[in-house]
Amino acid sequence: MTHVSIRELTKVYPGSADPALDGLSLEIPTGELTALLGPSGCGKTTTMKMIAGLLAPTSGDIHFDGRSVLSEKPEHRGVVMVFQNYLLFPHMNVADNVGFGLKMRKVPKQEIDHRVKEMLELVKLPDLGDRQPSALSGGQQQRVALARALIVQPNVLLLDEPLSNLDAHLRFEMRDLIRGLQQEMGITTIFVTHDQEEAVVLADKVALILDGRLKQYGPADVFYKRPVDEATARFFGGQNFASGTSDGSVFKSGLGQLKLPDGVNPGPGKLTVRPENIRINAGENMQNSLQAVVTERVFLGTQTLVKLQVGNEKLDAIANPNEVENISVGDSVTISLPPSSLWVLST
Amino acid sequence: MSDRLKIALLLAPALSIIGVLFFGGLLIGLMRSFNYMPVIGLTEPDLSAYIAVFTSREFYLSFLLTFHIAFTSTVISSILAIGSALLLRRTFVGRSLINFLFQLNLTVPHLVGAIGMLYLFSQSGSFARLGAEWNLIAKPSDFPALVFDPYAIGIILQYIWKEVPFIGVIVLANMQSLGEDYESVARSLGASKWQAFIHVLMPLIFPGVLSASIIVFAFTFGAYEIPAILGASYPKALPVLAYQKYTDVDLAARPEAMAMAIVIAALSALMIYFYVRYMRRRIRS
Amino acid sequence: MVGKESFSIRSIRVLSGAVLITWLILPLVPLAIWSFAKGWFFPDLLPKRWSLQAWEYALSDLSGVMDSLWLTVWISIAATALSILVGIPAGRALGMYKFRGKELVELLILAPTIVPGIAVVLGIHSVFISMGLNNTINGVILVHLIPTLPYMILVMAGIFANYDPSFEAQARSLGASSAQTFWYVTLPAIMPGIIVGGLFAFLVSWSQYILTLLIGGGRVVTLPLLLFNFATSGRNDITGAIGMIYILPGVIILLLTAKHLSGRNGAVGGFGRI
Repeated sequence: MTHVSIRELTKVYPGSADPALDGLSLEIPTGELTALLGPSGCGKTTTMKMIAGLLAPTSGDIHFDGRSVLSEKPEHRGVVMVFQNYLLFPHMNVADNVGFGLKMRKVPKQEIDHRVKEMLELVKLPDLGDRQPSALSGGQQQRVALARALIVQPNVLLLDEPLSNLDAHLRFEMRDLIRGLQQEMGITTIFVTHDQEEAVVLADKVALILDGRLKQYGPADVFYKRPVDEATARFFGGQNFASGTSDGSVFKSGLGQLKLPDGVNPGPGKLTVRPENIRINAGENMQNSLQAVVTERVFLGTQTLVKLQVGNEKLDAIANPNEVENISVGDSVTISLPPSSLWVLST
Repeated sequence: MSDRLKIALLLAPALSIIGVLFFGGLLIGLMRSFNYMPVIGLTEPDLSAYIAVFTSREFYLSFLLTFHIAFTSTVISSILAIGSALLLRRTFVGRSLINFLFQLNLTVPHLVGAIGMLYLFSQSGSFARLGAEWNLIAKPSDFPALVFDPYAIGIILQYIWKEVPFIGVIVLANMQSLGEDYESVARSLGASKWQAFIHVLMPLIFPGVLSASIIVFAFTFGAYEIPAILGASYPKALPVLAYQKYTDVDLAARPEAMAMAIVIAALSALMIYFYVRYMRRRIRS
Repeated sequence: MVGKESFSIRSIRVLSGAVLITWLILPLVPLAIWSFAKGWFFPDLLPKRWSLQAWEYALSDLSGVMDSLWLTVWISIAATALSILVGIPAGRALGMYKFRGKELVELLILAPTIVPGIAVVLGIHSVFISMGLNNTINGVILVHLIPTLPYMILVMAGIFANYDPSFEAQARSLGASSAQTFWYVTLPAIMPGIIVGGLFAFLVSWSQYILTLLIGGGRVVTLPLLLFNFATSGRNDITGAIGMIYILPGVIILLLTAKHLSGRNGAVGGFGRI
């Protein structure tokens, strides 16, 4: 229920020359679930702590619904942060942990008990109130941390790497729980992660931060289809890049002349195509078809990686194992790069 | 070699030294306090030494004084130590120098601290001279008695001087290994600074404070040289009284000294008991 | 936590820090001044005349201060060496193994770190008399083991608890004998613990007063006994000089170990006994 606006936010830690965060601006609309994505040490957690009021920015401003909150103490901002390692208070049981925020607000004990019980049911841990945090599994601890945050009905919820400490099978369960609760309560939620999969799976929108600066911000699929530069493309698993020139509709490079989708500016650039979008053994009459030589094939389990050589350029393709069963190293194959799967990065 | 035998062999030298010297010394003291020493012909234990001790007014005054010294010193030191640790845990310019100065007196023996206190707080000491300089007092005897005084203020000041860094270093390390994130969580859940301190930080550092306090209490209850330098002549701190009885020309006073030593030992045993019980309960929960 | 705070809170913080540090150094100041004073009478804030007489006296052969210093060094080194020798195996047993009765053993070792020396030394004195150990240097070294040994064991137990014995197995499988394994693998790994623990065991022994007084019976005059005598006889200038000499090892050791030292280190527990 709060629109968060981050304006030119910069943090330089004392004794350090490089800023941990360098002029980050971001608009996070009410009720959206936004991921701050970036490698570790890129300033994500610093940003969260500044939003929560746990750290003062060096410069810049943070607005909630158009009002600066920098002078507000953390306990009055209505922002709750859930840390990566959950940080359940070890000297309190589960129920006391969940009820902590209400106790600080001097809510009567009876009401606290009641709401704690409700909250624990909501996170599907109805009978664990008496347990000590150390007796819980990682997934349970995270649910308790989430319950402890949500019970105070924050305006903004901050989650630090919410899925990274969990096993693969727990991740989807937790994703559904977080998304479900977030949408039900309509809380503006920001989470940070270094894992692009976690960001894509959970968030409405993703903000990619590299070297303390915002690289790109938008819905997750844009990062795959329209990355702004090579670093962004690589962060999302892009591997194929070919330098050349675009005239607006055709790209000339070592790969020959390839037809481009609409919306590409003319000029020099780098053509990129995702490995999974390269079609192998395509018919001769498909658009953008090329002759390639197979240099290596690697069985990856559910997929097969096929390394290709086209003239002087190398391309990696990922295919369904069945489709490339009878292709071996040294074979010459016809591949196709559908125009809709191509994108040109400015250099 | 079986593990059991190996463990026994590894522990044997240490346990025999501690067993013979420490527990042997304690046992002999206990026997002599009951006037029981078969080697020198005392074969009939009795309670005369304890009766003499427990019916003596001097003993009670000494006991109360010593308890007052230990209790007051421990409580004040613990509180100031927590405060100091809160001050020193932040990063600031010159922190390593300040930390060094904070730890400096850890290695200075209590005896030196006691002499320093004497030169600071005696009626002709530095503070009395300052008082004279500012025309607050005219002659040394105008300065309040802070050493050799009945309330043991000088002794307590010395212990506070020495034990604040001791407890402080332990608490500081405790705080640093906890980090500030627990308090950050509390703040973001709506706790004020003070609430985060009382409800989160204090309970988390309490075990460390308690164990350090117990060491300090037992030490201040049983130390000899500090009250010997800074204490009043009557009543004396219990360890000073025990030593005086033990070295009395009248050998008959020795069992009484032993009885007092046993009282000191019993009180420390009680401290150990509470300590172990508390720690076990924490580990279980 | 929050980086910005008001000026007044900041000044209170700085001020209380300054008061704290001043208070911690303050008692050493008159001691140092006295050692260079030639008469320092009430109500002078500083001595009217300065001199090196006290230092000359303390450093001369006549005074016996130097003899006492070397005696104290010898006793502390001997007590430390014995503690290391006996403490390493015991620390290994406690740090690396779980066994029945471990809690009891820990309690037995913990007890001497809490029970004051006066409570046991009277009994020991009676025994040492019958063994002829009273009034001897050896007797004093032995009795100093009561505070130093448990402390050394606890430090070594902490070191061994974080020690991986598979390095030893690896060395043995590469053909090292058990003596070679200890010398080339175990000892280098536990050396930091031995050094820090040893330095502070040294300081614990260095600061003993009542144990030395009773067992040494006035014949074994270590530096603290000498210092006490001069302090109670009113020779403040000489007391100051001896006091400065007496705190020197501790300050040097602190300078050497300040980096390794924090309350997390088991070594700090020993400070309760100094």
